[in-house]
Amino acid sequence: MSETIVTKTANPGGWQATGLAVHQASDVVGERIEIQADVVIVGSGAGGAVSAYELARRGFKVVVLEAGAYVPSKDFTERFTESLDTLYQDHGGQTNSSGDLLVLQGACVGGSTVVNGCVCFRTPDFILQDWQRDFGLDELTTAELTPYFDEVEKNLAVHENGEHEIPRHGRLIRAGANRLGWSVKPLQRNIRQCGLTGHCLSGCKTERKQSMLVTYLPWAAAHGAQIYADTRVEKILTENGKASGVEATVTHRDGSVAARMTVTAPRVIIAAGAVQTPLLLLKSGLGNRSGQVGKNFACHPSLYVPARYPEPVYPWRGAMLGVYVDEFMHPDKGGFVLEDGGAGLVELTMAAEPGTGEPFMDYMANAKYLGGLVTLIHDHNVGTIEWDGERKKINYQLSDVDFPSMQRALKAAARLHLASGAEEVYVPASDNRVIRSEADIDEMVDTLENLPQHLRMVSYHPQGTCRMGADPDNSVVGSDGQSHDVPGLYVADASLLPTSIIVNPQITVYALATRIARQMA
Amino acid sequence: MKNNNRAPLPGFLGGLEPLSRRGFLRTSVLAGAAFTTGCSSLFGRREAPETLEYHSLNDDEVEVITRLTEVMIPADRYGLPSSTDVVPTIKNVDAMAQRMPPQTRELLGLGIWVFNNRPMVSFKFSRFTGLPDDKALAYVDAMQEGSFFERGLMTTLKALVALNYWRDERTWPGLEYHGPVTELWGVRRLGNAPLPRA
Repeated sequence: MSETIVTKTANPGGWQATGLAVHQASDVVGERIEIQADVVIVGSGAGGAVSAYELARRGFKVVVLEAGAYVPSKDFTERFTESLDTLYQDHGGQTNSSGDLLVLQGACVGGSTVVNGCVCFRTPDFILQDWQRDFGLDELTTAELTPYFDEVEKNLAVHENGEHEIPRHGRLIRAGANRLGWSVKPLQRNIRQCGLTGHCLSGCKTERKQSMLVTYLPWAAAHGAQIYADTRVEKILTENGKASGVEATVTHRDGSVAARMTVTAPRVIIAAGAVQTPLLLLKSGLGNRSGQVGKNFACHPSLYVPARYPEPVYPWRGAMLGVYVDEFMHPDKGGFVLEDGGAGLVELTMAAEPGTGEPFMDYMANAKYLGGLVTLIHDHNVGTIEWDGERKKINYQLSDVDFPSMQRALKAAARLHLASGAEEVYVPASDNRVIRSEADIDEMVDTLENLPQHLRMVSYHPQGTCRMGADPDNSVVGSDGQSHDVPGLYVADASLLPTSIIVNPQITVYALATRIARQMA
Repeated sequence: MKNNNRAPLPGFLGGLEPLSRRGFLRTSVLAGAAFTTGCSSLFGRREAPETLEYHSLNDDEVEVITRLTEVMIPADRYGLPSSTDVVPTIKNVDAMAQRMPPQTRELLGLGIWVFNNRPMVSFKFSRFTGLPDDKALAYVDAMQEGSFFERGLMTTLKALVALNYWRDERTWPGLEYHGPVTELWGVRRLGNAPLPRA
C-alpha cells in the first residue's frame, strides 16, 4: 500500500522567512512510500541543496533525501559535545580504520555546511590546471568557473572578514606573519552580520552563517522541492541501463524503521559527501567500470596547533576563523595553508598532550591564553572508502610522501606562533612536545614519526572518491557530473574533485553543482 | 523493525571487529574523540557525586577511573571544582558506558583492566590503583610515550576523563569560558536568506 507522507510543518509553498518545511520520520503515517519525481537528490549539503534549487526553479519536480535529521537553527545548543551527537556523521565518531584521524562531516539537513567554519576559497588556478593536464578536464578553466564562483559568492554573502571579524588570535597571527614577511590575508566567509559567538562548529543559532539550511534549501522549497529528512538511500535503481530512481529507508531517531520509500525519477544526483556517495555506488553495484569508485580519497588532514601567549587570547571569543597565511599554498612552496582558529574547552582538551596532572592542569587553567593555528596540507589521494558488507571503512593513513608536508606545515605554524609572541607551542602529538624557541622546532618536529597514533589529526574536507575525468577508464564521472557508465546518474559533491585542493572546498562544490545542474537542465 | 544502518549510538561503536589487538586499539582510539557524544544528556548535570549509583562501571572500573581522574585532574589545587567530589566525572563516564553497545562496552572494560594491571611488571607488581601519586603519574606518562597500543589506550582514557570533567558548566567560570552566549547576549535571529534575484 502506498501512502503519502504528511508533515506537521506542511509546506505552504513560497519562501519562508524562517525554518524549513521538511518531511520527517515522525510525520510518516504508512509503511510504504512511493514518489514520482523528475529528479531525486541524495544529500542536502553543499552539492545537493544547490542542485535542488537550480533544478526546482527551472520547473523540475525535485525530491531531496537526507539521511540525517532536521535540526532547526533555533535548536542548536552551542555546546560542542551535544552538537557532535546531533549534527555530525556517526555522532562525531567517524574515523579512519586505525582510528587516528577523525573525519568530521555534517549529518543533518544542510550537511557539513551547517557545521563548517564558513571559510570560502575559490579553487586555486594551479589546481584547475592540474585537473586539465592530468584528467582531461579542459572545460574547467578559471574563465569557465569564474561566473559560477561570482554567483554563489553573491548568493551566500561571501565577503572578506572585516576588522571586527578578526578575533584576538587572528590579530596576533597576522602581526606575527607580518614580522616574518609572510603573506597573510583576512579569510573570506559566507556569513551575514556575524554574531561573533565562536560557535560555528555547533551550527549558527541565529542563521547568520549562510549554510544550505537557510539559503539554497529554503529557496529550493520555495520552488516546490520536497525535502525528506531521516531518509537513508540504500540503493540506486536502474532500468535499461539508465538511472530510474532510488530505494530508501525512513528511520526514527531510535533506529526503528518508519517506512520504506521508493522514488522513481529519470535523474538521480548523489551528493552525500565523499564518504557516503561512493558507498552508495558500491552498494548499488553501479558506475564503477573504471574501478575508481571509493578510490583516491584525500581529506586535507589537519592539525590544530595551540600555543600559549603572555596575554589573554580567549580562543573561544569572536569569529572562529579570522586570517590565513597563503605564503606556502603553492605545492612548489610547500603545499599547505595556515588558518588561525578558535576553540572551546572541550576541543582544547583533545588538541595536545601537555602532560598529566599539574602540566595538564596548567595547560587547561591557562586556556584563555591559548591561540590556535589550523594546518591544511595538499595531501595525495591515497585513501579508499570500502563497504565490507556490514559497515564502511575509511582506509587512510598519512602517506610517507605527505608526512614531510605535514612536518613543514607544523614547523611553519610553530615559527608563526613564536613570531606572534607565543611562549609555548604545543605539538599536537601523542607525546608531550613543547616548543619554546626557534631552536626547539627542528628537534621537536623532525623526531616525529609517521606512525599511527602519533599525530592528532582531524579532517574536515573528505574528497576525491568519485573523481571527474575525461577518460572513462580512470574516472567515475565526466566534467558534467554524469556517470560514464549510467546515463541519468550524477555526482555533485566533493567526491568529484580529482585531487585535493588545499583549501576549504565548499565554494568549489557550490560552483560545480551549479554548473552540473544547469547543464542537466 | 530496526535499521542496522542507523544505530542511535556513535556509528563507529556498532558492529566492531571481534575482540582483537587491532580491534581494541581501534575502539579505544576512536573513542577518544567521540566519547564526547555518549553522555551528552548529562551535560551540566548537577548530581552530587556522593549520591551517585553506577549502572555500567563495576567497582574495579570505578576505582580505576576515579584514581585516573584524581591523578589527571587535581582541580582543587587550581581553584576549580573538584573532579571527584563536585563534578560527577566518573558518573558521566558511567553514563557513557551504559549507552555503549555490549561489545564496545566489553572492550572498554578490557582496556581499563589492561591499563590497571599492566604496571604489575614495570611498576613493582602494583596495580595502577595501588600506585602512589608520583608513580601513577610516571606510569601514565610512560604509557603516553609508549607503543602504538599504549598511546592509543592512554589517549582514549585521558580524553574520557578530561571531556567528562570539562563538559560540566561548573568548570567554565574559573577559566572565563563563556559557553553558549546567543541567548545571554540577545543575538537576534536573521531567519532565512531572501531568494536571490533572477
